[in-house]
Amino acid sequence: MSETLAPSGKVDDSKRTWLIATSCVGAVGGIAAVVPFVSSFQPSEKAKAAGAAVEADISALKPGEKMTVEWRGKPVWIMRRTPEQLAALSKNDPELADPNSERKPTEQAPAYARNATRSIKPEYLVVVGICTHLGCSPSDKFQPGAQPSLPNDWQGGFFCPCHGSTFDLAGRVFKNKPAPDNLEVPPHVYLSDTRLLIGDDKKA
Amino acid sequence: MKTMGFTQKIILGLLLALGLAATAQANVGGPAWDKAPNKTNDMGALQNGAKVFVNYCLNCHSAAFMRYNRLTDIGLTEQQIKDNLLVTNTKIGDTMTAAIDPQQAKAWFGVNPPDLTVIARSRAGAGGSGADYLYTYMRSFYKDETKPTGWNNLVFPNVAMPHVLWQLQGERRPIYEELKEHDAVVHVFKGWEQLRPGSMTAQQYDQTIGDLVSYLQWMGEPVQNTRVRVGVWVLLFLGVFSVLTWRLNAAYWKDIK
Amino acid sequence: MAEFHEISPNAAAGEKLLNWIDNRFPLSKLFKEHMSEYYAPKNFNIWYVFGVLSLLVLVIQIVTGIFLVMHYKPDAALAFGSVEYIMRDVPWGWLIRYMHSTGASAFFLVVYLHMYRGLIYGSYRKPRELTWLFGCGIFLALMAEAFMGYLLPWGQMSYWGAQVIVNLFSAIPFIGPDLALLIRGDFVVGDATLNRFFSFHVIAVPLVLLGLVVAHIIALHEVGSNNPDGIEIKATKDANGIPLDGIPFHPYYSVHDIFAVSVFLMVFTAIIFFAPEMGGYFLEYNNFIPANPFQTPLHIAPVWYFTPFYSLLRAVTTEMMYALIACVVAGAVLSVVKIKMASLFKGLIVGAAVVIVAMMLSIDAKFWGVVAMGGGVVILFFLPWLDNSAVKSIRYRPSWHKYLYGIFVINFLVLGYLGTQPPSAIGSRVAQAGTLFYFGFFILMPWWSRIGTPKPVPDRVTFSAH
Repeated sequence: MSETLAPSGKVDDSKRTWLIATSCVGAVGGIAAVVPFVSSFQPSEKAKAAGAAVEADISALKPGEKMTVEWRGKPVWIMRRTPEQLAALSKNDPELADPNSERKPTEQAPAYARNATRSIKPEYLVVVGICTHLGCSPSDKFQPGAQPSLPNDWQGGFFCPCHGSTFDLAGRVFKNKPAPDNLEVPPHVYLSDTRLLIGDDKKA
Repeated sequence: MKTMGFTQKIILGLLLALGLAATAQANVGGPAWDKAPNKTNDMGALQNGAKVFVNYCLNCHSAAFMRYNRLTDIGLTEQQIKDNLLVTNTKIGDTMTAAIDPQQAKAWFGVNPPDLTVIARSRAGAGGSGADYLYTYMRSFYKDETKPTGWNNLVFPNVAMPHVLWQLQGERRPIYEELKEHDAVVHVFKGWEQLRPGSMTAQQYDQTIGDLVSYLQWMGEPVQNTRVRVGVWVLLFLGVFSVLTWRLNAAYWKDIK
Repeated sequence: MAEFHEISPNAAAGEKLLNWIDNRFPLSKLFKEHMSEYYAPKNFNIWYVFGVLSLLVLVIQIVTGIFLVMHYKPDAALAFGSVEYIMRDVPWGWLIRYMHSTGASAFFLVVYLHMYRGLIYGSYRKPRELTWLFGCGIFLALMAEAFMGYLLPWGQMSYWGAQVIVNLFSAIPFIGPDLALLIRGDFVVGDATLNRFFSFHVIAVPLVLLGLVVAHIIALHEVGSNNPDGIEIKATKDANGIPLDGIPFHPYYSVHDIFAVSVFLMVFTAIIFFAPEMGGYFLEYNNFIPANPFQTPLHIAPVWYFTPFYSLLRAVTTEMMYALIACVVAGAVLSVVKIKMASLFKGLIVGAAVVIVAMMLSIDAKFWGVVAMGGGVVILFFLPWLDNSAVKSIRYRPSWHKYLYGIFVINFLVLGYLGTQPPSAIGSRVAQAGTLFYFGFFILMPWWSRIGTPKPVPDRVTFSAH
């Protein structure tokens, strides 16, 4: 074209000023525009409602029995341990990878479950029944003594069939197993002696 | 350029005329709708409306897309909702479902009571907004012995819904005047005759219905107040951005002769 | 085949990267061809922003659509609820939904204004006929896209609008009812219909739209843009082969378009945040009632952007058929008498007219209404060959042409308004007159576009510095 830019610095300066100003404000606007879209990925109210805390009635649980309750799509085991099972817990300590629940202190167990029995009430174990290796659900192996795939001094616990990880009756993982961590203790609170709320630890 | 101005003038004029024509349309059939008071920014009114809704409407009508915990948006705490508005066996994250079984409702009323979540958005029309319709409807019930429920409604003749709030408003009958119009006798609605008083005065009842309707209006789109607030900021931002892009454009175009 | 270009190892990292890409993909070449060395006329006015705005709205619809599909359920029992789920339970879902619903209406508004620009400046004339044809294809695809998208919320308007329009296909002689059954996938509009419309709306038609848009822009860039004066800027070039009245698209029009986008977004967001229903025109009130196959709403109307064509459909009543038959006969007679052509062609025209009149007498007006509605869109495809004027742009046409175009616009708007209203005696007559004018404008264009003396067209564009 015959009519071309005037090559003076003044023109270039004004273009540059407005370019920078527009780009900065535009970038802010662009980010602000992206926020609602990315946020829409967050769990919806429906998902949050479905993931709400679940109440379990433990009045019928006898010593040695385990019940399963669903919370956020995961199995949560509530097991009423016998006095013998509780006494045998400390025998496992040397064989355990993390006997005192010190690994990942905030993720695997809330403060009230970082104790010898990993529970609020000593008899009741409340854990998420999902192996910390790759997510299979371990089977019950409460009978003490030698059994296939288990050591001779087996005190009772859980055995994961997928890759052979073993956990004791406090949900603690044994050494040299594929699973790195103890079974997760979910937030929970006793609303009364027979009602256990899983998923929330603040009383209503 | 003159020509485009001409075309644009014509188009503009026509659009204005269309706008006028559309709004000037009379509400064909049925009485004119009263203007509902807009209390969607009045937390107290909305909370009262929510209470009326839960106590009177949820027995038969559901609001299947409205969650109880959303009521925190109108100033209620979760505890208040749990204590006053939740029925047994509902959790605060649940949706507002009706107590009634839909099959039974259909058997009793002949039609399933419609879901009310977005009723205020669906009833708008030439006569006014959805809230105007509902406000007029809820105040137009009258005693009619010839109907199965014993009630009829001026805005929705032969409606299957009984006057659920009759204890508050009492029993009324419409008064008609006979007028002769072009050799035909026309019945014109003149006013109401109170047969039996309710627990509220007419003014109190109107206020309660105003609260209820504002609640329905809010429930139709709970985000409406936030939407407007966010919109103000967005528009301010874009205003600033437009000024910048305008000057940027000018900075380049002053080179073009 | 371009030569492989080696770059100095001392060059900046950015330059080296660009060189690596350019050796394998024509990035810089494309940028030059379509942006920094694409010379557009410098006299573009406001009517020239609607192309880029159409592109913007297309992108908005696709992006918001992608996010809506994450939460929407294409099942007759779940669809309505899933839309309310998006409005209430999905974080910011309400904003994404309103952007999409407003975007649909904005798309048509912008596209109509874009087409109007083409009409008044003769942008469809040689050598830009193909650009125009692709554009008409886009318009057709857009109407299909909007129609199918409207079924998805599964409200009363969604359902009954779809039911009525699909039933129109059953008016086609012989194959009609089977065709309607094929489209619906069921005896009435139902879950099967919803699922296939979902597939078309989400992927099939958007792919077609994207392809057509790319073709539309490539065809335009091949010949260069028209301008409000209708002058071919490539006719006057400088020593370097650059049109004297041309300026590089980038940076002049890229910067100009950013401003236009900014202003458009103000209007767009004002609607989204303050009036998303737009008085029931963008989000119809009846659509907040879940679809009920047993109860038709008292007043069904198509969404506002279809109403002009809906008016054409409704205008064709049995009475109107006589007027149309008279037009066909008159048309055949006039063309045979007035136009010089071989006897064979004259015979063919008379024969065709006889067949057409016979069909018009034997087939229901309902079918011809559908033909009129479709014809109203299809006739646009023929525009490049209907316009016989010596000048392209309305600026240099005889003055009375301007009034004719003005009346065309008003007529189109009146037809649109009438389409929103229930049928009435007067409305019907006006729509019928409007229909005749609409088709007459196009069909008689080869004749009227040549009447009158155009004003002299300058060599260089009219432009005043900003």
